[in-house]
Amino acid sequence: MSGCSFLDLRALVLSRQPLPTPVKPLLSVKTEPRMILRTPAPKRARPIEPAPIIESPPVGSDHRQLAIYEDPSSAGPARREPSQQSEHMLCTYQCRQMVKADFLDALSNAEKQVQDYQSKLAELNDNFGKADEERKTFREKLSYVEQELAAAKGREQALHDQLLKEVNDSHERLKKELELSAKLQAKLENEQNLRKKAESTAAAAEDKAKELEAKLGHISKSIEKEKKRFNNELAQLNRDSKFSITKITVDLEKMEFRAKSSEQEVELLRKQQEDLQSKFSECLHQKSELEKRLTSLSFEDDSPKESDILVKHLQEELRNYESEVREARKLKSAHDSIELMKEKLLEEKSRRERVELQLPKLQEYELKINKLEDELSAWKLMIQDIPGVSCCDDVPLRISALQKEVIDNLKKLGEVNAHLKQMQVVLDKTQLDKQKTETEAALAKEKADRLEAEVKRMNLMLSAVSEERNMLKIAIEDFKSKNEQAGGHASSSALQELESSLLKREPYIKELEGDLFAQKDINTRQQDEIKSLHDRLNSEARKVKSLERESDRLRSEIFLLESKLGHGDFSAANTKVLRMVNTLAVGNDAKQTIEALQSELQRTKEKLQALEEYKSQSGNSGKLVDSYMSGKVAQLKEQIATLEKREERYKTVFADRISVFRRACCELFGYKIVMDERQRPNGIPVTRFTLQSIYAMNDDEKLEFEYESGNTNIVENGYTSTSEISQQVDIFVRKMNSIPAFTANLTVESFNRRTLS
Amino acid sequence: MASKTAAKDIITLRGSAAIVSEFFGYAANSILYNRAVYPEESFARVKKYGLPMLLTKDEGVKSFISNLNAQLSEWLEAGKLQRVVLVIMSMNTGEVLERWNFSIETDNEVVEKGVSREKSDKEIMREIQAIMRQIASSITYLPCLDEQCVFDVLAYTDTDVAVPFTWMESSDAKLIANPQMVKLHSFDTKIHKVNTLVSYKNDEEESDDEE
Repeated sequence: MSGCSFLDLRALVLSRQPLPTPVKPLLSVKTEPRMILRTPAPKRARPIEPAPIIESPPVGSDHRQLAIYEDPSSAGPARREPSQQSEHMLCTYQCRQMVKADFLDALSNAEKQVQDYQSKLAELNDNFGKADEERKTFREKLSYVEQELAAAKGREQALHDQLLKEVNDSHERLKKELELSAKLQAKLENEQNLRKKAESTAAAAEDKAKELEAKLGHISKSIEKEKKRFNNELAQLNRDSKFSITKITVDLEKMEFRAKSSEQEVELLRKQQEDLQSKFSECLHQKSELEKRLTSLSFEDDSPKESDILVKHLQEELRNYESEVREARKLKSAHDSIELMKEKLLEEKSRRERVELQLPKLQEYELKINKLEDELSAWKLMIQDIPGVSCCDDVPLRISALQKEVIDNLKKLGEVNAHLKQMQVVLDKTQLDKQKTETEAALAKEKADRLEAEVKRMNLMLSAVSEERNMLKIAIEDFKSKNEQAGGHASSSALQELESSLLKREPYIKELEGDLFAQKDINTRQQDEIKSLHDRLNSEARKVKSLERESDRLRSEIFLLESKLGHGDFSAANTKVLRMVNTLAVGNDAKQTIEALQSELQRTKEKLQALEEYKSQSGNSGKLVDSYMSGKVAQLKEQIATLEKREERYKTVFADRISVFRRACCELFGYKIVMDERQRPNGIPVTRFTLQSIYAMNDDEKLEFEYESGNTNIVENGYTSTSEISQQVDIFVRKMNSIPAFTANLTVESFNRRTLS
Repeated sequence: MASKTAAKDIITLRGSAAIVSEFFGYAANSILYNRAVYPEESFARVKKYGLPMLLTKDEGVKSFISNLNAQLSEWLEAGKLQRVVLVIMSMNTGEVLERWNFSIETDNEVVEKGVSREKSDKEIMREIQAIMRQIASSITYLPCLDEQCVFDVLAYTDTDVAVPFTWMESSDAKLIANPQMVKLHSFDTKIHKVNTLVSYKNDEEESDDEE
């Protein structure tokens, strides 16, 4: 309001022309020149001397001023001509009258103006009083503003200090974080390089392993193909064998038929032989009778010639019969030999047929063998291509070595993962620090924004105050000038005071402005720093994201490694795999093989018996089958023998070891231990141990213990129920629950007894 | 041996080795029964870990497992045992069908300095009980073994371990290609921590092959 009133006063002051100068009656005042010529003066040469020209304002104008016309002729009366003097006197009187009227009008006007000016003065005085009041208010406001300025200065300084502290802290943190991030980056780079190297080696090893696996797959496929081929060949051989078996059976049947026929022939021959033998016996009998008769007749000698002839005839018949018998025998042997030859011929024919049948197969087998040899050579070449492998047996070793390398590389990867985990922990910490700095930066931003707003407000205030000051100055100057014209000295001192106070404030205002500019600079610097921090934070956030992705990848790899570890993979550098000699499986296998072999033995025995029967009847017809079966039987018998030897060896080794162990236990602990397996009535198996001290006086001094599922309990008997022993049992076993202490005490006591005795 | 005269919570190296080897004996018996490697009638019922456990009556298997346990406890006391694997294979083809993996983590400080640890026996028994229950319930997800099977035991030890007379070094770890794996519970005596895992042949491959 004071401003408005001041402005209104100003407007009033400015709207008016500058205060008219006080009117001096009848005095020439050089103001705005307006020539009013009453009578046109003759055109004469004006004198060089400056003549005062007095002009009067036109009638009705505000800017009236009294102008007295002075005839230029009056200035130089000596110059006028006497002829015009009378006219001139009339004119001057009229003019003077007119001038008087005008003068009077002007006076009235001037009086009116004076009144107006006086009123205006009063108004101005009022206004001046108001301006004084306003000045006072402004002074108060100025003081208030000064106080506010001082408070704002103080706040600014405090904020400035805080900002400086925060900026320093954030600088330090940023430096630390930058150092940490630089270190982490260096570590990351190192570990990335290590990981890349490990990945490259692992990839190379994997490629090698894949190649080897592919080769192994090819080899296994080819092996399977060969197996199939061999199986097919075996099937074919089986078919051939079956075919040969059928042939053999057919031959056997033929042989049987022949055997039957030969048996019939043999029976016939036997009958013939019997007949012949009977005949021969009859002949012999007749011969003996005849000889008897001859001997009897020899005494008579009546007809020696007839008996001799008879004898001769009989002898001849005998000889004939004998020759016939010999011929029959020869025939029989020849017949047998013929049959044998026939059989041999048949066998050879059958062999020839088989050979002829198998000849094309031989060619096929030869082709197959050539193919197999080619494939073997190809495999050998492949094995030669594989580095570090010289033969087929080296392939699995090489694969195991490569697997171990892969496992080592995976271990290294695991170590890298551990480092990365540590890195993740550090990154998490940096993230937290980053978040903290971000929040602090946001807070600092907010504070800076607030400070800027306050600074702006202060600037606005200052600009307003300076404008008011300027306006006041102008108003004061105008007022001064007016007062100087009006002769008001009372307010000059106040104005001077105002001016002096304003002058005093100016340096403060300048200082404030300087401080504001400095703070503006500081704020701009801080904003720049905050922007740079934000950029760094964004870059770190990107790095953190990339690290998180890598950590996810590594976690998946870790999961795969853990699955492999759980699978059973191991490193040969740190671990070796031991396997207990599993006699159970061997025993089981041996038992089963023995059972199978025994069943086969029985079958072959039955077959052999049948064949032997056929053989006994037909001779050598079953030689082929015998040879095949005998070979199998021999093989099976050999296997049984080896397995039985192995079992016996295991048993002897175990027995030896057990006996050594028992002797050692006896000598070390002083007790002979006998172990029995018993069964309780409830079916639970229990192991009973009977201990006899080597220092025992009697055989009755025995301790019995029962062992069941990890628990050992003493069994009462005659020896333990004695007073001495029962005391010791109570103390050592029942109270202190220590059987070794009991047995040790017992041995010491029995040793002492022995030594003393 | 866990001292019974003093507080029950003290566990020594020897006691822990005994607990682990005993656990393996009972676990092996349970697996052989549940997977029908041996017929049911060859097993006898006993009480252990608060559960009815089955132990084989076959003398050969019994002696095999007892010798095995003795050797395992020796290696455990020396801190040389890393893993024990029970492998179930087909008798006819020799193909590995299942692998029961018991990995062991040993506190080397106890082995080197001979200090003891403290843990409640009840808690250890509870943990072992949980594993035994899981072994018994594994038949619900493991594929059926339709053919006759045999078992074998592998021990993963440190390289400086002397190979005993009844053991031999094997280069074949009897692994399964592309197995399915199921992780079971673990138990910890504060000296030895045993993690159990069973890996078996993926039955889907067989069904895919058949299709």
